[in-house]
Amino acid sequence: MLRFVLARLVQSLAALAILTVVVFVLARATGDPLQLILPMSASEEDYANARQYLGLDRSYVEQYLSFVGKALTGDFGNSLRARRPVIELIRDRLPNSLKLAAFAMTVSLLMAFPLGVLAAVRKGTAIDRAAQVIAVLGQSLPTFWVAIVLIEVVAGRLQWLPAAGSERLASYVLPGFTLGWFVVAGMMRLLRSGMLEVLDSEYVKLARVKGVAEHRVVWLHALKNALIPVVTFAGIYFSILVTTAIVVETVFAWPGLGRLAYEAITSRDFPVIQAVVLTTAAIVALVNLSVDCLYAFIDPRIRYAG
Amino acid sequence: MKTTLALVAALLSLTLVTGPAGAQGKPELTVALSSFSTEVLDPVLGGHIVKYYLSLMFDYLVGVTPDGQPSKDGGLATRWEPSQDHRRWTFHLRRGVKFHTGEEVTAEDVKFSLQRAIGKRSTTGYAGPLRTLIQDIETPAPDRVVIVTKEPTLIIPTYLSRSLSTEGMILPKKYLEANGDDVFARKPVGSGPYRFVEQVTGSHIKLTAVDSHWRIGAPKYKTVTFKLVPEETTRVALLRRGEVDIADVSRDRVAELEREGFPIHMRREEAVLTMWWILPRDNQPTKDKRVREALNLAVDRSELAQSIFAGKAEPAFVPMGLSWSYRDLGFKVTPEMHYPYDPARAKALLAEAGYGGGFSMDVYAYQLPGLPEGRAFAEAMAGYWQKIGVKIKLIPVDYPAFRKNWFDRATPGAVGYYNIANRDWIGTYALIEKMAYSKSKASDVVNDPEIDGMLEQVPRQTDKEKIGVLMRNVYTRLRSEHYGVPVVYLHSPYAASKKLGKWTIGTVMYDFFIDELASSK
Amino acid sequence: MPAESTVPDALAPPFPALGAAPPLGRGRRLPFLSLTIIGGFVLVALLADVLSPADPEAQSLRARFTPPVWDARGTWAHVLGTDRLGRDLLARVIWGARVSLMAGVLTVLLASAFGAAVGLVAGYYRGRVDAALMRVTDATMSFPVILLALILAVTVGPSFTNVVIAIAVILWARYARVVRGQVLTLMELDFITQARIAGASAWRIITRHLLPNTLNTLVVLITLQIGYVIIVEASLSFLGAGIPPPTPAWGSMIAEGRDFVTSAWWVSFFPGLAILLVVLAFNLLGDWLRDTLDPKLRQL
Repeated sequence: MLRFVLARLVQSLAALAILTVVVFVLARATGDPLQLILPMSASEEDYANARQYLGLDRSYVEQYLSFVGKALTGDFGNSLRARRPVIELIRDRLPNSLKLAAFAMTVSLLMAFPLGVLAAVRKGTAIDRAAQVIAVLGQSLPTFWVAIVLIEVVAGRLQWLPAAGSERLASYVLPGFTLGWFVVAGMMRLLRSGMLEVLDSEYVKLARVKGVAEHRVVWLHALKNALIPVVTFAGIYFSILVTTAIVVETVFAWPGLGRLAYEAITSRDFPVIQAVVLTTAAIVALVNLSVDCLYAFIDPRIRYAG
Repeated sequence: MKTTLALVAALLSLTLVTGPAGAQGKPELTVALSSFSTEVLDPVLGGHIVKYYLSLMFDYLVGVTPDGQPSKDGGLATRWEPSQDHRRWTFHLRRGVKFHTGEEVTAEDVKFSLQRAIGKRSTTGYAGPLRTLIQDIETPAPDRVVIVTKEPTLIIPTYLSRSLSTEGMILPKKYLEANGDDVFARKPVGSGPYRFVEQVTGSHIKLTAVDSHWRIGAPKYKTVTFKLVPEETTRVALLRRGEVDIADVSRDRVAELEREGFPIHMRREEAVLTMWWILPRDNQPTKDKRVREALNLAVDRSELAQSIFAGKAEPAFVPMGLSWSYRDLGFKVTPEMHYPYDPARAKALLAEAGYGGGFSMDVYAYQLPGLPEGRAFAEAMAGYWQKIGVKIKLIPVDYPAFRKNWFDRATPGAVGYYNIANRDWIGTYALIEKMAYSKSKASDVVNDPEIDGMLEQVPRQTDKEKIGVLMRNVYTRLRSEHYGVPVVYLHSPYAASKKLGKWTIGTVMYDFFIDELASSK
Repeated sequence: MPAESTVPDALAPPFPALGAAPPLGRGRRLPFLSLTIIGGFVLVALLADVLSPADPEAQSLRARFTPPVWDARGTWAHVLGTDRLGRDLLARVIWGARVSLMAGVLTVLLASAFGAAVGLVAGYYRGRVDAALMRVTDATMSFPVILLALILAVTVGPSFTNVVIAIAVILWARYARVVRGQVLTLMELDFITQARIAGASAWRIITRHLLPNTLNTLVVLITLQIGYVIIVEASLSFLGAGIPPPTPAWGSMIAEGRDFVTSAWWVSFFPGLAILLVVLAFNLLGDWLRDTLDPKLRQL
C-alpha cells in the first residue's frame, strides 16, 4: 500500500514539474508587465530600473530556478501588479474558491441525485428523457448568460437574493446554482449509468428475491454502489468548477482564484499566473491522489494494475 | 446521507430568510466600481486611477475645488507663492493636522513624501517630469516647504494638487521609516478624513471615518467601502437592491435607470476619445496630410455620439483637444475646425493623394476603463473607413498589448485610441507633452518639429498670456495637420441610490469628490 | 492452435462496430429531435450564403437595436432585429452556425485525433513510454482550459484559429486517458496476443485491432464534447478571448448582447437560443450514443 501511494505521489509530482516549465514559459509569453506598471512618460532608464527592481532583468534560466526553488518552500515571489507576496493573494482568494466549489458541488449533487436515480429507475420512459434534458440544460447555456439573467431577474427585479459578494450565505445561492447546474449533466450521467449497471447486478436481484422493498433496493443498495464513479471523478469536477468559476466569479464579483488568474493574465503578472496554475493543479492532483489511494485501500487489485 | 441533507436544508433555510438588505439611514457609503486599476494602496506605486479611495485616506499638499482648480481650502497648504524668478515655490502648511497615527503633519513629512514620489521606485504619472524639474526641497520651518526648480515654472502647484496624479499626497515619514514600504503598502496611514480598515484584493477596500477632519468636519458616513464589481448587470442589481450607493454605469444604461428614478450624475466631457496612428509615418499613407484629413471626414461623429454612445457624447474636432483647458487658454473651436461628415470629399482626397484604390490599415480594438463601448466603437470606425475604400483589419487585443506595439513602434500606421481624461491647462500640457512631443518619447504620436518647439517653451514660461498663445498654437496645428482622429467628448454617468444626498461629483479625474457627500460642514 | 496459418485479420474480435449496434429496442429509439436539430443547423451552416438575408457584417448605426419583426417597431427588413451596430441578427445567427459549429467540430476532431494517438501509443508500449506520456497528460489536464486560451489571446490576440488551438491543446488529454485505459484492457485479450505471435507489426495492431475497438468510445466522447467546446468558446468571448467580432460567432454575440438583456433582449436571446438547441442536441445525442454503443463508459 505504501509503495502504491509513493508511486502515485511521484507521478503527481512529475506532472507538476512538467507544469512548472509550461506555466513559466506561457506566463512570459503574455508580454511586458511594465506596460501596465509604468506611466506613459517613463524613460528608458525608468524601464531598466523597474526591471531590476522587479527581478525581470535576470536570465530566464535564473528566473526559472529561483521560481522553482522558492515555490518548493511555499514562496511564489511578489506580485508585479499588487506588489505583495503572491502567497498573500492566494490566501485571500483560495478559501473563497473552495467554498464556492463546495457549494456548487452540493447543489449539483442535490440535483443530480434525484434526476439520476429517476432516470435509471424509469429508464427509456419520458421521465428518463425529461430528467436528462433538465440535467443537460445547465450545460447547454453559457454560464455567464445564465448568471446575468439570474442577477437581473432574481437579484435586481425580484430582489430575493444578493447579486454579489461573498459575505453572507445568501450570496452563495446564485453563483453556486449557476456553477452547480453546469456540472449536473456529467454527474447525473455517471449516476444513471452506475445505477443501471447495479440494478442489473446479481446482488441487487438477490436483494429483490429476498423481498427487500423496491425503494430500499434503489436507495440503499443501488445508490451506494452507483456513487463510486461520482467520487472517482471528484478531481475532474473540481478542475471544471475552477475553470468555469473564472466566468462566474467575474459576474458575481466573487473574489476567488479564477478572477485572480484573469487579472494576473491581463496584467502580465507572471508570479501570480504561475502560482494560480500550480495551486489549482496541485489541488486537482491531491484530490485524484486521495481518490486513487482510497480505491487502492478498498480494492487491493488496483495497487498492482498501475 | 441524512446529515448531509439536514445540513443542506439548514443552509437553504438560512439563505431564504435573508431578504434584501435594508438601506434605511445606514451610516455607511458603498461605491461599486468596474475597475480598481492596480489596487495598490501606496500612492507612489499606483498611478492616478486609484485616487477614488486614496483621496479619502490622504491629504494633498494642494487641494482643489470640485471642478479641479487649485484651492487654499482643500489641501495641506493654506497658501503658496513663487519667488520673483518663479524658481522657488513656498508652501505654507496648515497647522494641527494629524496623521491617523496621531503625529502632526510637518514640513519634513512633505519633503519626505515629495522625494519619495519622484524617487526611482515611483510609478506615478508625473514622477518623471517632476524629477527633471525639481532641484531641491527645503524645510525652513515646520510649517513651511520650499520647492526649488531648475527652471522657472508655473506648473508646480497643479502637479502637486489633487487635480492630477498622486504625487502631492502627503505620507507620514516616521511611520514609513519605522515600518518600511511593505507594511505601509498593506496598512497605509495618511491624514485624510478616512482611515484604512481592510483590503481584500479583487473584492473591496474598506475605510472608516476619523472623529473629525478639517476638510469635512465630522464625517457623515462611519464607513466607506469601495467594491470591485466588473459586470455592469451586477452593479445595477446591487444599486436596485440598495446594497450600493454609487456605481459607474454605461452610457447605454442611463435611460433605463433614469426611468426607474435613480439619480444619474453625469460628468460632462469627462474624456476626449481620440484615435491616432502609430509612428513612424515614413512610407505610410498617413504621411500624406490629405489622407489624414480624409480619414477624419469619413466619420459621422454625430451619428456615433447618438448611437454607440447613446447620446451621451458630443463630437470632437481637435486631436487631444482637452476642452476644460480651452477657457483658461483662450482657445476656441471655430466652425471652420469642424469636420463635416463628407465621405465623397474623403474619397476625393484619397484619390488626390494617390490612394484612389484605397489602402490597408490595421485598427486595434480594445476596451478601456470608462470605455465599455471600446470594441464596438472600433468596429463602427472600421465601418466608416471601409465605406471610403480603406481596407480595415480589426485587431482585437487588450490595452497593454496595444501599448507595447505603440511604444515599440512595432506596427507603424496602425490605429489605436484612448479616452483621455479631460483636465485644465496645466494638466493638458502634461498630457500633450507626453503624446505630442517627439524628443525621446516612445508615447509620441505626432512628431512635428514646430509643435516640439512650442512645447519646449511652455514649462519655462511664467507669463500666462504667452503660455496661452503657445498652447493655442499647439492646438491649432494639431487640428490643421490632422494629427489623429478626434472623435467625441464622452459624458460619464454615475448612478446613485435614491437616498443619496446632494452631491457634486466634480470634474477631478479619477476622483469622485466624496468630500461633499461625507461633509457635515 | 493453427497459429502459422491464421492471418491476424481473421482474429478480429467481435467488437460492436458502429453499424452493428444492438437492435433498437425500447429506449433505443433514434433521437429524432436531436438529429433533426443538428441536421438543421448543419444545413443552415452549409447554406449560409444562400439563406442569409443580409451581409452579417454590414453595419447601419441608424438601425441599431431594431426589435424583431413582431414587435410594433420591428420591420421585415430585419426579421430577428439588429444588434448595437445595426447588423442583421438573423444573418448573424445563420453565419454564426457555420462559425460556431466549425469551431466545435474542428476542435474536437483535432483533440480526439491527437489524444487517441497518444492513448494508443501509451497503452500499446506501456512501461516508460506510457509513464512519460501519462505525466504529460496529467499536466495538461490540470491546466485550466480557459486560462490557456486567455494567455494565448493576450499573447497573439484572439482569433478563430487560436481559440480552436487553445481548447484542443487541453482537450486531447481526456481522449488520451480514456483510450489508453481501453487499450490496456484490450492488450490483455487473446486476440492481441495472437496477432503478436502471428508477427503483426505494432502499426498494424494499433490501427487494425486497437483503434477500431476504441472507436465507439471516441464517437461518444466527440459528440458529447462538441457542445462543451461551443460553450467554452462562448465563455471565452465573455472574457474577451473568444472568436472576435465582426466574425459572427454565437458566443461573442451573446457576450456583446449581455449588457442589453433588459433594453434589447433579442440581441443575446437568439444566438443564446441557437447555442442552447445545438448543444442540447449534441449532448442528448451523445447520451443516446453512449447508451447504445458503450454503456459502461464512465465520462463526464
